[in-house]
Amino acid sequence: MYGRRSQSRSTGLFLILCAAMLLLAMLSEQPWAAGARGVAKSALAPLESAMTQVAANVDRVTAVFGDVSSLRAESQRLKAADEALRRQVVELNAAAKENATLRQALDFERSFGHKMVAAQVVGRGPDGFSRTLQIDRGTSEGVQPGMIVTTGAGLVGRVREAGPHGAIVQTLGDPQSRVNVFLSKSGLQGTVTGGPAALQLDIEHSLGITASSGEWALTSGVGGGYPRGLVVGELASLTHRPSSTTDQALIAWVNDPRATSFVLVITDFVPS
Amino acid sequence: MKRLAVAVVLLATTMVQVTWAPRLTIAGVFPNLALVAVIAITWTGGVRAGMAWACVAGIMLDLTAPGPIGPHAVALMVGAYLTGFWIRNVDPESVLHPMLAVAASSAAYSIILVAADDTLGLPVPPFGVALQLLVAASIYNAVLMPVALLFLRRRQAAPAIRSSSA
Repeated sequence: MYGRRSQSRSTGLFLILCAAMLLLAMLSEQPWAAGARGVAKSALAPLESAMTQVAANVDRVTAVFGDVSSLRAESQRLKAADEALRRQVVELNAAAKENATLRQALDFERSFGHKMVAAQVVGRGPDGFSRTLQIDRGTSEGVQPGMIVTTGAGLVGRVREAGPHGAIVQTLGDPQSRVNVFLSKSGLQGTVTGGPAALQLDIEHSLGITASSGEWALTSGVGGGYPRGLVVGELASLTHRPSSTTDQALIAWVNDPRATSFVLVITDFVPS
Repeated sequence: MKRLAVAVVLLATTMVQVTWAPRLTIAGVFPNLALVAVIAITWTGGVRAGMAWACVAGIMLDLTAPGPIGPHAVALMVGAYLTGFWIRNVDPESVLHPMLAVAASSAAYSIILVAADDTLGLPVPPFGVALQLLVAASIYNAVLMPVALLFLRRRQAAPAIRSSSA
């Protein structure tokens, strides 16, 4: 008797909370609530930034331990290695790597000819269904939903939501992402979609022309969603499907969203 | 005070999930620490506490995800509610049952997120991809559940030991 009453009370609470959350979801999706939603989503950005910083420091420490273990054999041979110096070397290496990334991004900005805002990646999407990145630049810095996000290496994705001091970027790895591309050698056109492990490319058949592994996939500009000529990745493998209108391929993405720490937001390209 | 501590732990869990956890990606998924924490709370503290904390953790996740605020909270609450049924009918000290509960909750969580996107008119992943992610996430989270339970039970046992020794 008691158990049944307790169960019905739990069900009641469950229904009330579900109704409240669904109401919140509907209200927060309204156009007039977009500003408040953006502000709320920006609220956690500083915490995420701090956490990312801690993670980077942990990585450095881990790298120190890794180097220490690998250098131990060498230090026995040379008998001259100093612990603090080695730590400094690792830290300098990490800083140099970061500098190289930033320099690459700066060179890209100069040669690409678009106006861009540099942003740091402070977080990632909470589940496997939305491969997103959180960046520390928002509407206050000119970042708006729909803007294209790249690195010096190539295309990352598109800004999906923007708050005052943070934005959420839907990456190409997101299963919901679609990008029209062309292949550098064969010129064949296709559509890249996100996937759990790799980017997938459906290549349209063309009489007498076949794609081959090692070709580069670049944005075609078809549909007006992305500017033409941004590098997406390299054709890693190809499956011919004679009975279908398309061939299937896997793309080795030039960006690894798990390792990307800086991105550039193109602020003067308006997707149609 | 205890509630504040749980809130801080859940906030830290959410932050770890969106900053560190993606480095542990296997088969396209990374651990859903918030879900594991909520199911562990439900398993040790009861279904009503679990649902309330699911709401809190879900809103935190929604603040880091694209789209409206609410779907992650609903998805986590369904997991807590399902686990509530589980607890009533099995041995709560078992290790296997909480793992199965978190696997089932992960599946329900994934289905609700995809259904919410579909309902809201947002694009959804293809069925094959969604199924692959669902299965991988269920296994991954289930493996982590014993660790979360061990942590929670130790935290619960610590004050009891201190008070009995005093």
